Amino acid sequence: MINDQVNTNSLRLYGVHHTARPTWKLQETVAFYRDKLGLPLIHAISAKGWGREGHPDFLHFFFDSGNGSTIAFFYYIGTERPDFLEPRTEEFFYRSTHTAWQVETRQQLVEWKAALESKGIEVSPLTRHEVIESIYFADPNGYPIEITLQLRDFSNLDNEDARLTIEAALKEEADAVAENHKIADIDTVWRRKGKLLAQVEG
Amino acid sequence: MPAIYVLNVPEFCALVDVSRIRPGYRVSPRGPNYFKIESDLELCFSRKELGFKPAVWYGSLTGGLDGKIVQFDRDELRVVGNDT
Repeated sequence: MINDQVNTNSLRLYGVHHTARPTWKLQETVAFYRDKLGLPLIHAISAKGWGREGHPDFLHFFFDSGNGSTIAFFYYIGTERPDFLEPRTEEFFYRSTHTAWQVETRQQLVEWKAALESKGIEVSPLTRHEVIESIYFADPNGYPIEITLQLRDFSNLDNEDARLTIEAALKEEADAVAENHKIADIDTVWRRKGKLLAQVEG
Repeated sequence: MPAIYVLNVPEFCALVDVSRIRPGYRVSPRGPNYFKIESDLELCFSRKELGFKPAVWYGSLTGGLDGKIVQFDRDELRVVGNDT
């Protein structure tokens, strides 16, 4: 019997296995992750190019980033980095794609910052956000990395608040698209959320 | 009459604490998860008074807004009524 629809309600995921990105700096990448950060190199694939025609021979290697997670790289043999993958580390849009690793105490965050700086890596000040505190730096490829401490657990309040924020944004965006413009500012979303909350009893 | 909504979580509670003791500001529960802060004229907050780091400060109104933001820089936030 074939189910036309897969019911995802009973399915769950169990965390990050790996994220992967390409590198054209093999020496620097291994030196950075294995030697400077001290992440164990735990798996490496080396293969002839296969699958799609023109796929180059490649290495695909994995560093252990704790709790079963890894960060992985592809090194495509004999290729040059295409222009569209040139790092643009000063731009918000580029930096939004990043990896954030977790530590368990503030002391660990402070120690990571000191350790990274002692190895010549430029690290941001500790930055306090709503529920996390973070440091930021970049790898030799220009990929942004964050190390973060979760300051408190998420609660039902956070879940419900997230639902309302995104509901307000979805409604504002739908209205904006219908009128052929973009959401003007975050004020617009906040006002829409205020209207949703004004309807809440009590 | 401007109003803002504040989620009842530790990182934003200074908005509520400061408003409770400020003349002319009214704080009331809004549903089980939020506080509503309102005043007859305008709502003004200073970042230093709240003890907010910038990343939290700039999300101060994430709970919701009924009014118009007339100032929101690194140190001061002012909200007035929609008709002001």
